[in-house]
Amino acid sequence: MNRRMLVNIGLLGLLLVVLLALPYFGVSNFVLGLASTILIAAVLASSVNFLGGDGGMVSLGHGAIAAASAYAVGWASRQGLDSTTQVLLALGVTLVVSFIYGLLSMRTSGIYFLMVTLAVGMLIYGLAFRLSSVTGGENGISGIAAPGDLHEEWIYYYFVLGIFVLTTAALWVVSNSPFGASLRGLRDSESRMRSLGYNVAQYKLGAFMISGTVAGIAGLLAVWHINFVSPSSAGVERSVLLVVMVILGGIGTLLGPLIGASIVVLVENVLSSYVDRWPTALGLIFILVILFARAGVAGSVPKVLAKLRGRGPSAAPPGDRSSSKGAPAPERNHTP
Amino acid sequence: MTSTMTTAPRRWVGFAGLVATAALVLTACAPPQAAEPEPDAGGGAEEGVSETLTVGYISPVTGNFAVAGQEMVDGWNLYWELNGNEVNGVTVETIVEDDAGNPEISLTKAAKLVEQDEVDVLVGPLLANTALAVAEYAASVGIPNLHPVAASDDLTQRNANDLTVRTGSMGGSQANYPGGEWAATDGGFGTAVTLCADYAFGWESCAGFVQGFQDNGGEVVEQLWFPNSTTDFSTYVSQIQAAGADMVYVATAGGAPGPNFLTSYLGLGLDMDRLLLNCCSADQGTLRAMGEQIVGLKSVSYWAEGRESDAVAELIEAYKEFSGGNVPGAYIAGGYITASLVASVLEEQGFVTGEELVAAITESTFEDNIFGSVSFDEYNNTVGPVYIREVVLREDGNLYNTPIATYEDVDQWFGQDPEEALGQPTYSQDFQG
Repeated sequence: MNRRMLVNIGLLGLLLVVLLALPYFGVSNFVLGLASTILIAAVLASSVNFLGGDGGMVSLGHGAIAAASAYAVGWASRQGLDSTTQVLLALGVTLVVSFIYGLLSMRTSGIYFLMVTLAVGMLIYGLAFRLSSVTGGENGISGIAAPGDLHEEWIYYYFVLGIFVLTTAALWVVSNSPFGASLRGLRDSESRMRSLGYNVAQYKLGAFMISGTVAGIAGLLAVWHINFVSPSSAGVERSVLLVVMVILGGIGTLLGPLIGASIVVLVENVLSSYVDRWPTALGLIFILVILFARAGVAGSVPKVLAKLRGRGPSAAPPGDRSSSKGAPAPERNHTP
Repeated sequence: MTSTMTTAPRRWVGFAGLVATAALVLTACAPPQAAEPEPDAGGGAEEGVSETLTVGYISPVTGNFAVAGQEMVDGWNLYWELNGNEVNGVTVETIVEDDAGNPEISLTKAAKLVEQDEVDVLVGPLLANTALAVAEYAASVGIPNLHPVAASDDLTQRNANDLTVRTGSMGGSQANYPGGEWAATDGGFGTAVTLCADYAFGWESCAGFVQGFQDNGGEVVEQLWFPNSTTDFSTYVSQIQAAGADMVYVATAGGAPGPNFLTSYLGLGLDMDRLLLNCCSADQGTLRAMGEQIVGLKSVSYWAEGRESDAVAELIEAYKEFSGGNVPGAYIAGGYITASLVASVLEEQGFVTGEELVAAITESTFEDNIFGSVSFDEYNNTVGPVYIREVVLREDGNLYNTPIATYEDVDQWFGQDPEEALGQPTYSQDFQG
């Protein structure tokens, strides 16, 4: 048990070292920018992953939470407010929006939860589109600069990497706390938890607030990175892609969001330069993963490797990456 | 749980694989030439050193706007196919990138083109939000950005800069002001009801029409707005009927709403002579979809494929061959004219880029190109003719938008002082000028 944890920690460290060393490989600003884009998408996807993996609540509204936070920064920047105020405003808006999402969705689950988050997301999209005096309408808000210290691409990359590590660690801690265990309990049997005396709605609201805050942080990172926000970042397509990222990577796994985000962002931005039918490629990848590797990349790679080493895969649940979590295998859980 | 111990090595290997994957995807995305030192972002290749003008062309060739995006690319390519891509010793090389109409992808692609491919010029993208985002980025890295299609007013107003130029279209309000003027004067209409798409382009188009109409004594009795996703226009048509105005002005962003509206409008037996459409509601797509029943339909645009002109005839002939018999629409024309502007600058001055390229483009004036007599204002926006067009069936069996009235030298200010105009709020449902 100890040895395995040590190895896991060592390998995580190795990944971190690779990520830290990236700017020293002599890569161009474009590649660094792309890496930041991936990490930001991974932070956002990890907020969906937390809610979906531990809470069994798949949200189609997280793109809009991030967008709300981004719009807060954009609006503040257009008013000429300094970056501290921008951050505070973004966090404030994020908390309010997450609270609204949470209040409306805390008594629902499964498909109803999906619909509520979808609806609130569309509401935010509609506001971004129509409330043009604040949001700039379809044109969006451009020229939102990151604080002066973060202008250099490699500095911003490290900033994003730092936040990614912090949020991932924070979500891991929450997920392994008694609160996380209760959430998994809710996911597996809500009625049993209720009969045990848990206030189900309160737990769900809490989980949503945590997840929403992380999404808001991702929105802040994104808007400082591309200096621009427009309604398309609040659209349902974005939220759907987040769910795709989480499923591709492996729902409920620690590194799943990073892997899923890498695949989606690279297909969108790199493969599309070489292949005209890149949306088809993304669709095919998604279908293949659903058909043959329902636990996602992070959940299935260990299985495949075990097979290659001649061990039957049936003996144990697929190697759940975040081993100490002791969560059941991803396929086993909950709808949808 | 008994299997916990036996799974340990497997996890080890699994995790190693994971790390490798993650590391690979992060690093392997670097293309071969990415390891080069800092690219020259100044955009200024020294004279004589580079004789290739590399153009990064961003357009949504997949997704909801794929048709328009592909047309914008086709127009550009068509010019170089016809005229050869070597001008005055400079070879024009184009790298087309797809942004799927998503501003975040547009920006990543723009960064890729500038930093990795080291392009000298960015052209596109198409949609307003993507265009504004890329224009801002291009200006920040000193690369000129030409816009063949994007109609957002602010591109050459509040966001105007020395590196952004609208080469192949007009601002949304600019192109529709003459429509209002014509309706109130030659058209002989006293009152109007408008139906416009409920987002920036529709607000701008409507604002142009409304101001042109009111400045010439017309009265707008009601303004209706429809969401872009509307497919059934019958409720709007009955509201139009109820409004009881002399005429109807309709602005859509192209695609399905144009034919859908016309189907409802004509289906209820309303009078086509009282209708004036904007550019995109009566583009070639609509003409092909509706067929001969809309002969005589009037619209207002900066592009008129039925205009008698050698330049237009040449483009039509070339595009018919290219597309198997279709008549080119405004997006084709926009891509085509942008290429012809670049070619004429290279012809005169040899290799130029950066602000010089934009300055050279905006200094050029044309007696007669495919848009007519065109020049540029200080904000790098097109100043040129706007046509009131009527659908005519020609002998080749195609429908053409043919001019029945021409407003020359239309600029984006409607006689206002630029400073004053820029002090106004941006157009919306609540503010129409």
